[in-house]
Amino acid sequence: MAHNNRSENRIELLQGTLDMLILRTLQWGPQHGHGVGQAIRQSSADWLQIERGSLYPALHRLEARGLITSEWKASDLNRRAKYYRLTAAGKKELVAEQSKWKLLVRVIARVMRPA
Amino acid sequence: MMQWDFWRRKRRETDLDDEIAHDLALDAEERIRSGATRQEAEQASRRDFGNVLLLKEGIRETWGWTWLQRLAQDLRYGWRTLRKNPLFATMAVLSLALGIGANTAIFSFMDAILMRALPVWRPGDLVILNWRAKGAPGVVHGLSGSWYDDPHTGWSSGDYPFPAYDLLRTNNNVLSNMFGFADAGRLNLTVQGQADLIDGQLVSGNFFSSLGVRPAAGRLISDDDDRAGATPTVVISYNYWRRRFAKSADAVGQSIFLNRMPFRIAGVCPPEFFGVDPAGAPELFIPLHAAPLFTEDPQDDAKRRFLDKNFYWLEIMGRLRPGTSISEAQTVLAARFQRYVNSTASTEEEKVDLPALVLAAGGSGIDSLRREYSKPLFLLMAMVGLILAIACANIANLLLARAAARQREIAVRLSLGAARLRVIRQLLTESLLLAFLGGMLGVWVAELGIRFLTWLLANGRDSFTLHASLSGQVLAFTFALALITGILFGLVPAIQATRVDITPALKQIRASASRSRLRLNKMLAIYQVAISLLLTIAAILFVRTLSSLHSVELGFDDENVLLFRLNARQAGYSDAALDRFYTDLWARFRTIPGVLDLSLSDFALVSGATGQTGVAIPGRQVPHGRESTSVLKIGPAFFSTMRIPILLGRELQERDMTRSFKVAVVNEVFAKKYFPNQNPTGRHFDLGGDGGKSDEFEIIGVAKAARYNSLKQAIPPVVYIPFSQRVDGMSFELRTHSDPLGLVATVRQIVRQVDPHLPVTDVNTQSRQIDQTINTERIFAQLCSCFATLALLMSCIGLYGMMAYTVERRTGEIGIRMALGADRRRIISMVLREMILIGATGLTIGLAAAWGTTRYLESFLFGLKPKDPLAILLATGILVVALVVACYHPALRASRIDPLTALRHE
Repeated sequence: MAHNNRSENRIELLQGTLDMLILRTLQWGPQHGHGVGQAIRQSSADWLQIERGSLYPALHRLEARGLITSEWKASDLNRRAKYYRLTAAGKKELVAEQSKWKLLVRVIARVMRPA
Repeated sequence: MMQWDFWRRKRRETDLDDEIAHDLALDAEERIRSGATRQEAEQASRRDFGNVLLLKEGIRETWGWTWLQRLAQDLRYGWRTLRKNPLFATMAVLSLALGIGANTAIFSFMDAILMRALPVWRPGDLVILNWRAKGAPGVVHGLSGSWYDDPHTGWSSGDYPFPAYDLLRTNNNVLSNMFGFADAGRLNLTVQGQADLIDGQLVSGNFFSSLGVRPAAGRLISDDDDRAGATPTVVISYNYWRRRFAKSADAVGQSIFLNRMPFRIAGVCPPEFFGVDPAGAPELFIPLHAAPLFTEDPQDDAKRRFLDKNFYWLEIMGRLRPGTSISEAQTVLAARFQRYVNSTASTEEEKVDLPALVLAAGGSGIDSLRREYSKPLFLLMAMVGLILAIACANIANLLLARAAARQREIAVRLSLGAARLRVIRQLLTESLLLAFLGGMLGVWVAELGIRFLTWLLANGRDSFTLHASLSGQVLAFTFALALITGILFGLVPAIQATRVDITPALKQIRASASRSRLRLNKMLAIYQVAISLLLTIAAILFVRTLSSLHSVELGFDDENVLLFRLNARQAGYSDAALDRFYTDLWARFRTIPGVLDLSLSDFALVSGATGQTGVAIPGRQVPHGRESTSVLKIGPAFFSTMRIPILLGRELQERDMTRSFKVAVVNEVFAKKYFPNQNPTGRHFDLGGDGGKSDEFEIIGVAKAARYNSLKQAIPPVVYIPFSQRVDGMSFELRTHSDPLGLVATVRQIVRQVDPHLPVTDVNTQSRQIDQTINTERIFAQLCSCFATLALLMSCIGLYGMMAYTVERRTGEIGIRMALGADRRRIISMVLREMILIGATGLTIGLAAAWGTTRYLESFLFGLKPKDPLAILLATGILVVALVVACYHPALRASRIDPLTALRHE
C-alpha cells in the first residue's frame, strides 16, 4: 500500500499492515492524522513514511469500522484538529492483529531461515 | 431523510477539508522550524502531500454510499438522460399518464361501489338476510321492495313479512342484533310552510343502536319511537340539516309535516352516515310503525304491514355474535325461516317453490349498486388494463430502441468495470422514474376521468348518488400500478441492453447483438396489434348496440315532449278532489302558448316503470291460474299527444274519464293475444283479479304497439285505462312547439298558483328520459370508442417506432442489397413483408382472442350477436389501414436509402 520510490532507505509496507500500525500508534493515546504519520515514521526510524493518500483513507476506514473514533479538539497550533482514539473494539482488533502478525513473522522467518 | 443526509454529507466535507488543512499547517510549521521561509514551506508541504482531490475521493469511498444516495445518483442520471430525449420522455410519460389515469379512475369507482365499508361500528360483523326461490314464490302474496329475477340463479329478494322478522329476532343465538328497514319513497316534507320532496327510509327502533351510529344533534330513533301510537318522530340527515336548517340547533324538536301529517324532528344523523344502501341517500329516517300514517287508511295499512304473514316488505340486517360464522348463522336462521314459510303456505301449490333464506356479508351495505355496476365496471377495468398493457409495450419498445442507441454508452460503462446489476439498476431507475412521472400525471388524468365518468353515469339525473373519489386506497393502487408498470416495461429492455458484446459495441459495429432484441420488438408489436383489434371489435359492438337501440321503433314520437311529475295525494288530496285537481291542471296547462297537445299518465313511457295486474276475459279458458297484463292509467288525449296511431275505434277522451261505465284502449299485442282474428272493440276484460271485486272495462279502441317501459324488452300486452281515482302521483306529457324545457318556469308558476305546497319533480324531456334508460349502453359505446382510438393510436406509434428502428438497423444491409442490384420495389416489399407478418400474426391472435372473449359482452349487447361478422370485419379493416399508415413512412424511407451513403455509414 504505502511505498516510496524516491528514497533508497525506505521499505514497502506489507499489504494490510497499515491498519495494524495505526491502531498500535493510537494505543499510546489520542492523536491527529499528522501525528499518527509522524509517530510511525519516528518509531520506524524513518524507514516507513506513510503517504497521506494512504493514511487518511485508512483512518476513515477504521473509523467507519468502529475500531477508532474521533473528536474535534484545539491542537497545539490553536487550530481545530481531529483526534483519533482507539475504541474497545479497536483494542481487541489490535491484540488479534498483533498475534497474527507475530505468527506470520515466525512462520516466514522459519521458511526463510538459511539452510 | 434526503435532506438530513445531505447536510451530514456537507458537514463531513468541511471536516475533511479542516483535517487536511491542519495536516498541511503542521507540516509547514515543521519546515519553518528547520529554516525554510513560510512560502517555501507551504509550497513544499503541498507538493509532498500529493493529490488532494484523489485523496478526498479515496476517503469518500470509505464513507460508503447509502442505497438512498445511490438512488439519488441514479435518479439524477436518469433525469438527465430523459431531458436529453424530451420527445421520448414526453411520449412515454403521456401514454403512461393516460393508461394509469384511466385505470385509477375506473378503480376509484370500483373502490366506491364494491369495496367501501359502511361508516358504522364494526361493519365486518354485519350480515344481510336475503332469500332465493326458483321462480316467483306463490307464498309471497305481495311484495313491496326490490326483487331480482336472474336466469341462472332464479328469484331473489331481501324483503320479509314483519311477522317473520319478529320470529327470527326472538331468542336469536347467532345474531346479536337484528334490525329492519324499508324504503319510504319520496315524501312531501313541509317545513315552515315550504314543501320539498325528499327520500325517506323506514327504520326499526333498534336500527341506529345496532349500527352503532351516534347523533350529530338531538337523539336518534329508539325502540320507544317505533311502536303503534308513539309520538311521530323523524331523524334527518346531516346533509338536509345543513341545507334546510343551516346546522341550527333549533332544528331539533321542530314540528314538520310529512305528507300533511305532523311529525317532530328528534335529531340529526352524523355527516358520514348515508343509511345502509350506498345507492341511496335518504334524508329522513322514520320509525317503521309510522308508515301507515301516510296512507289513506292507516288501520288497513298497519294490518297489512304488521300482521299479514304473506306480505313481504321489510329488509333485514343483523350483526353476527362474536365467534359465529356466516354459514353457522345461516343454518340456524334458514331452518327457522323454512318453518315459517311452510306454515304460511296455504295451498299445496304454494309449497312447491318456497323461498329459502340466504345470508350475505353486509359490511358494505345493500348491494343494489354492486348489482347494477359491478359487471360494467369489471369490463371497463379489463379494457383500461389492456390499454395500460399497450402503453407498457410501447414504452418497452421505445426503450429497446433507445437501448440500441445507447449500446456504446452501456458498453463503455461495463468495460470500465460497472457491475451488470448496477447498470440494470440504473436503467430500471430510469424506467421507474418514467413510471412515477406518468403516475403523478395519471392522478390528474384520473381526477378528470372521475368527473367525466360521474357526468356520463349521472346523465342529467339529479338523484345520482354515486360519488367516487381519490381515496388513500385508490392512490395506493395508483402507486402500485406505476411501480408494476415501471418494472414491467423496464426490466426486459434493461436486461437486454446490458447483454452487449462489449468489443464490437465499442467499435460501433452494427447489429451484431440485436437479433434477439428485434425478436422481442416484434413480439411486442404483434401483441399490440392483437389487443388493439380486440378493443376495436368491442368498441364497434357497443357502437352498433347503441345505434340499434337508437333505431328501435318507439311507436310514438319522443321529440318535443316535456315530462314532469306531481303527487297531489301527498299534498293531501284524495278521491274526487284528486281527480278534480289533475283535471283542473290539465285544463290550465292547455292554455300555455306553445303547447300543442297534452295528457297525463301514472308514469312516463320508457322510463323503466311498469304496472302489472291480473286480467281475466269473460269466456276465456286459462290453463293455469291467472294471466297478467301491463297497465297504463292515462288522462284524456294520451294517444294524440304521444302520436300513437289508433288502429281501430277511438281513443280515450275527457268524457271517458268519469263515466260510470268504464272504457279502455288496448294495444295491438293485447288484441292479438286475447282476441286473435277478432274485432276486440266492444269486448270486455276484467282487472278485478281473484279478489272477488269485479273491475270490468269495455274496449273502445286498439292502439298501435308502442314501447312501454323499456327499449330492450319486447312490447307487452298493454291496457290503457282512465286514471280517475286510481292513482297517487301523475306524470304530465306536454307536446310543445319548440324546446320543451323552455316551458318549465311557466309550468311551475301554474302549479304554484293552484297549490304552493306541491313541488314539481322529475322534469325531463321524453327523448332524454329514453336516453337515460340506455345509459350503460351509451357509456360503453362512448368510452369504448375512446379506448379503442387510444389503443390504435398507441399501437400505431409503437409500430411506427418499431418499423423505423428496424429500417434504421438494416440500413447497411439494405445498402448492400441495393448495391448488388435490388430495386426499390424489392426493398419495399422486403420491409412490407415483415410488417405483413407482424400484422397478420397480431390480427390472427386478436381474432382468436375476440372469438373466445366477446361472449362475455353478450349481456351488454342489443340487436346483434357477440360474434357479429360486420363488427369483426370492420375492426380488421380499421386495423389493416392503421398498420399501413404506421408502416408507410418507414418503408418509403427504406426504399430511399442511398447505397453509397449506407455503405459508408458502416
